[in-house]
Amino acid sequence: MGFPGWPPPTSNLGRVLSQEGLLGPSVSPPVLPRHQVLRISVADEAQVQKVKELEDLEHLQLDFWRGPAQPGSPIDVRVPFPSIQAVKIFLEAHGIEYTIMIEDVQSLLDEEQEQMLAFQARASSTDNFNYATYHSLEEIYDFIDLLVAENPKLVSKLQIGSSYEGRPLYVLKFSTGGKNRPAIWIDTGIHSREWVTQASGVWFAKKIVQDYGRDPAITAVLDSLDIFLEIVTNPDGFAYTHSTNRLWRKTRSHTSGSLCVGADPNRNWDAGFGLAGASSSPCSETYHGKSANSEVEVKSIVDFVKDHGNIKAFISIHSYSQLLLYPYGYKKAAVADQKELDEVAKSAVAALTSLYGTKFQYGSIYTTIYQASGSSIDWAYNQGIKYSFSFELRDTGRNGFLLPASQIIPTAEETWLALQTILEYTLNHPY
Amino acid sequence: MQPRRPPPPAPGPPRPAAPLLALPLLLLAVQGAAAPTGPEAAEWRPDTGPPHGLLRQAARAALHFLNFRAGSPSALRVLAAVQEGRARINAKKECTVDLVFTTEHYNSEEGEERLGKCSARVFFRNQKPRPAVNVTCARLMEKTKRQQEDYRLYKQMKQLRNPLDGVSIPDSHGHIDPSLRPVWELAFLGSSYVMWEKTTRFLHYYMAQLSGVKQWETNDGAIDFDYTVLLHEFSTQEIIPCRIHLVWSPGKPLTVKYHCQELLAPEDASGTEEGSAVAPTELSNF
Repeated sequence: MGFPGWPPPTSNLGRVLSQEGLLGPSVSPPVLPRHQVLRISVADEAQVQKVKELEDLEHLQLDFWRGPAQPGSPIDVRVPFPSIQAVKIFLEAHGIEYTIMIEDVQSLLDEEQEQMLAFQARASSTDNFNYATYHSLEEIYDFIDLLVAENPKLVSKLQIGSSYEGRPLYVLKFSTGGKNRPAIWIDTGIHSREWVTQASGVWFAKKIVQDYGRDPAITAVLDSLDIFLEIVTNPDGFAYTHSTNRLWRKTRSHTSGSLCVGADPNRNWDAGFGLAGASSSPCSETYHGKSANSEVEVKSIVDFVKDHGNIKAFISIHSYSQLLLYPYGYKKAAVADQKELDEVAKSAVAALTSLYGTKFQYGSIYTTIYQASGSSIDWAYNQGIKYSFSFELRDTGRNGFLLPASQIIPTAEETWLALQTILEYTLNHPY
Repeated sequence: MQPRRPPPPAPGPPRPAAPLLALPLLLLAVQGAAAPTGPEAAEWRPDTGPPHGLLRQAARAALHFLNFRAGSPSALRVLAAVQEGRARINAKKECTVDLVFTTEHYNSEEGEERLGKCSARVFFRNQKPRPAVNVTCARLMEKTKRQQEDYRLYKQMKQLRNPLDGVSIPDSHGHIDPSLRPVWELAFLGSSYVMWEKTTRFLHYYMAQLSGVKQWETNDGAIDFDYTVLLHEFSTQEIIPCRIHLVWSPGKPLTVKYHCQELLAPEDASGTEEGSAVAPTELSNF
């Protein structure tokens, strides 16, 4: 007789809840006020028999963790509070020695429960946030608030607009001061199904605060430039990938006259808008939207960048394919700065590959991946933001969008090396 | 596992595996040839050689075809790198690509590199699907080992008891339970046929996720299962659901029947594509 799910051997005392006992958050475990665990030492066979008699007394509700066996073997038993007196009297009356191993089982359980809930529920700081798993929108927004609270001098949160469905569009600003310093823009998650990108964005945010003041390179960058990071660039789409369709790419805007939802936010920018390389069908994954900047998620960035007026590098992060791309996508013609961008891409890729050997190709969007019109970096470049790049992170199709969570951190780590190369280059080549 | 499936309507004659077509190819100055039309068109100049994208496209087509023909879920290959290649285009915009490329095990852990080299000739008929493929590869895995692994996978499939139709493989976090790994690998084998059939000069596919898996009992011990696969077409970024029915026994030819949904607009009639095949018994390349 005993509670189901309790582990037998005493060696598990440190982890009172066994695998079976690890209950989901919706089920509460039994509450055990002041139960004790006794360790009984039996000297001879007669004493073993006496303890076995105890075992047979069902009304005592004893839970033997290590049952009566033979003399010399300790017997461990959990005794519910109402039975404690009776059991102790019995043992003492028969000269059977015992010690109290656990005074109060419930307090041990409470501690365990707390730890478990803390792991499952919200992180209480960015130091106990789990970077090696995919998170919900709420968890990422909580992370953002924690990061800002922990680093108020370096990080602030800006809201640049609201999504189609009314979700806030948050951008993290990393700045060591100055007034409207030259800055770098990074966005992740513009295509909601590319989950490794939002997850990497979270990791980059933490990396920046960890390394500022420790790593000379990023310190030098932040001492002169600001960094703007939009982690969930398409929150409606992201929420939809969690709730309904893991492979949703677009925004969730409604197009009149069509039953299909959403436009491709990376075909909606005002650069070659509507030309070949995007679809005019609302049901298509590359539907460009009814007009350039029709998607509020895009318009918000456009307005922010224009108002800021001093963005020097613009980096959009996607997955998958393992590519580092520069403009143009909407036409084959090379950009004026092609040679320089190609050199930067080359060294960024070399830095990335140096970590885990992950192979990346690089080149213009048009020649490396496919013709794509209305893309963010084409627009940024045409605005005069010379260092405009787009990444396609891991992998090359084995897992595709459903990249195992175990690859989040390696992906973020290697990508960070490429990003750093671009950041440093931007710092050292003002224009 | 479901009881034996009801007998399907009599299938049509299986389509033959596409043979290599020997065509009188005109070696035109590529510059003069009309560039293929369509948003993904790229013009080649004789000095720069065929676009790297074309060589990779050919490699992928060759690999899907190879994987299907080999019929071995434990010896599936993916592209490692294209080493060299050349291409010719004729007046009808049909394109022949000769290439050499290396491959890795699909099922390998990250970092494990064994590069099996392949050479192939792939013929794309302008924008039409089902490229003709002739491919030869150096063995990646010893024959006995491959047979053992296939048999092990076969046994694992047979032992699957739980109803699987609610399960997505992988889950949203990209995780595949080890007990479901054989399902994924067999599904990849079956999907290879479908992906080969659908590949064109411009369209290429990856397998994104499985669902709706149902396994049926058989008389002869073969693995017989249905599944829905979501294929990701890269250049359009579309997700295409296909219902696939696969019958497999280790060492025996694979049978695949499929039905894909081409989702364009709910207002338009949605197109469907169907196909079936039985892999030929002669596996001349292996």
